[in-house]
Amino acid sequence: MSEQPTIEAYKKNIQEGKFKAFKCSKCKAVIAPPLSTCYNCGGTKMEWTTVSGKGMLVSFTIIYVAPDEFAAEVPYIVGIVELEEKTRVTARLMGFDPNKPQAIKIGTPLKLDYEKGKSGKTYLAFRPA
Amino acid sequence: MSGAQTKFGALEGVTFREMFAEAVEKATTQANIPKKEIEAVFVGTFNPEMLIHQGHTAPLLLDYAGLRGLPATRHEAACASGAVALRAGIMAIESGLYDTVLVGGAEKMTSVSTNKATEALAAAADDEFESGVGLTFPGVFALAAVAHMQRYGTTEEDMARVAVKAHKNAASNPLAHFQKEITLEKAMTPKYVAWPLKLFDCSPISDGAAALVLASDKKAKQYTDTPVKIVGSGQASASMNLSGRTDLTSFEASVAASRIAYKMAQVTPKEIDFAVVHDCFTIAEIIAIEDLGFFKPGEGAKAVREGITAKDGSKPINPTGGLKAVGHPVGATGVKQAVEVYRELLGAAGANQVPKHNIGLMHNFGGTGATCVVNIMRRSDA
Repeated sequence: MSEQPTIEAYKKNIQEGKFKAFKCSKCKAVIAPPLSTCYNCGGTKMEWTTVSGKGMLVSFTIIYVAPDEFAAEVPYIVGIVELEEKTRVTARLMGFDPNKPQAIKIGTPLKLDYEKGKSGKTYLAFRPA
Repeated sequence: MSGAQTKFGALEGVTFREMFAEAVEKATTQANIPKKEIEAVFVGTFNPEMLIHQGHTAPLLLDYAGLRGLPATRHEAACASGAVALRAGIMAIESGLYDTVLVGGAEKMTSVSTNKATEALAAAADDEFESGVGLTFPGVFALAAVAHMQRYGTTEEDMARVAVKAHKNAASNPLAHFQKEITLEKAMTPKYVAWPLKLFDCSPISDGAAALVLASDKKAKQYTDTPVKIVGSGQASASMNLSGRTDLTSFEASVAASRIAYKMAQVTPKEIDFAVVHDCFTIAEIIAIEDLGFFKPGEGAKAVREGITAKDGSKPINPTGGLKAVGHPVGATGVKQAVEVYRELLGAAGANQVPKHNIGLMHNFGGTGATCVVNIMRRSDA
């Protein structure tokens, strides 16, 4: 994992079910989605890191009206998830009932997973831990 | 100096450049400002490339509107395109380079299907890291709504009340897309777009244009005895994707831009008599009135419930009907908001006039809230 991380490789890793985040070489802050510059220390040298896969739900929505690409998948849930490593990603939520949104609570512990969409794409996803 | 908007709505048979020319004509003739006195033009348009297959819009619009030859620059910041064009105009005057400039905004959105228009709007979100997992534009604001609901107890009904108020105000605004009141029950129709946001929480897809003329202090005196002064202007940006924000119950660019504007204008949120805020979705108005410092975090919904933000309340918000009911032709919106504040300040807002109108504020925000512009305007005799 020594090569300079790129956005293209970040996206490819998700497609292959092998999520990796960026890590600031200077202060070791974990960064995802990618940035060229670390907001913690200003460092600009990045390396790859694996993550624990543990996270927490920050917010969510249930999509009913979607662009053509995702229309066959509605209703589906999109959430913001804070990883244990303190960075936040936008991902699909699995293992919740989209017809019972009141039952979904911010703060719920989650674990990393992947969802294969009808669009043919693999999405970064999380399910209850 | 002067400002005008076209009717907003599905303007069948009226093209992009015709709308712009109409707004320019109204804004210049109304103030008796000869077009030949205008030295430069700043134009806000969002995504005419996808909506009407047209780029390089500034010279195109000027040419048709009789302003050929002038420096013409297009500004784009998604839904804040109009306000960033306005800021460019303000900076051009403040720099001393020009004495009289025109600021305009326009968008033609209804000549494509709703799906296509939605796709064009989605270009204002982060395609690689957020739209790619299926997050939609209403979805972005739904994420903020859920965070606000679970932290502060804001309800779907609270959001619906914002829509009811917008429609009520727009009912007497002849330039509004919707001029019909709706009941709370109707606003609560459970037609979800992105839970918890329903159809009536969303601003419509509209056509429209707006224009205004800015002048230096010196030049303004030649045109009118009652100019309105832009006394404060702030702009800020934030992370494009919501995952890059630390707090989803507030839009940090709104907080930052407003604090800059308040400082420049040397006024406090309390001194603002009324405001025109960016209610692209009902939750956005609730959060905006908290971010602008009118109400404490978590108390925006209560203010709406108690009628404080009604046209005749003590802090009227969107007295002409907001984006929600006047419509949201993206590039025109920020300019139209300034036109609305201008008219209210002069006491020229007719049935939509607010009782107290010395100092007004406009808040225009782009895309996912990644851009925000706040301008504070004051009647010159106030």
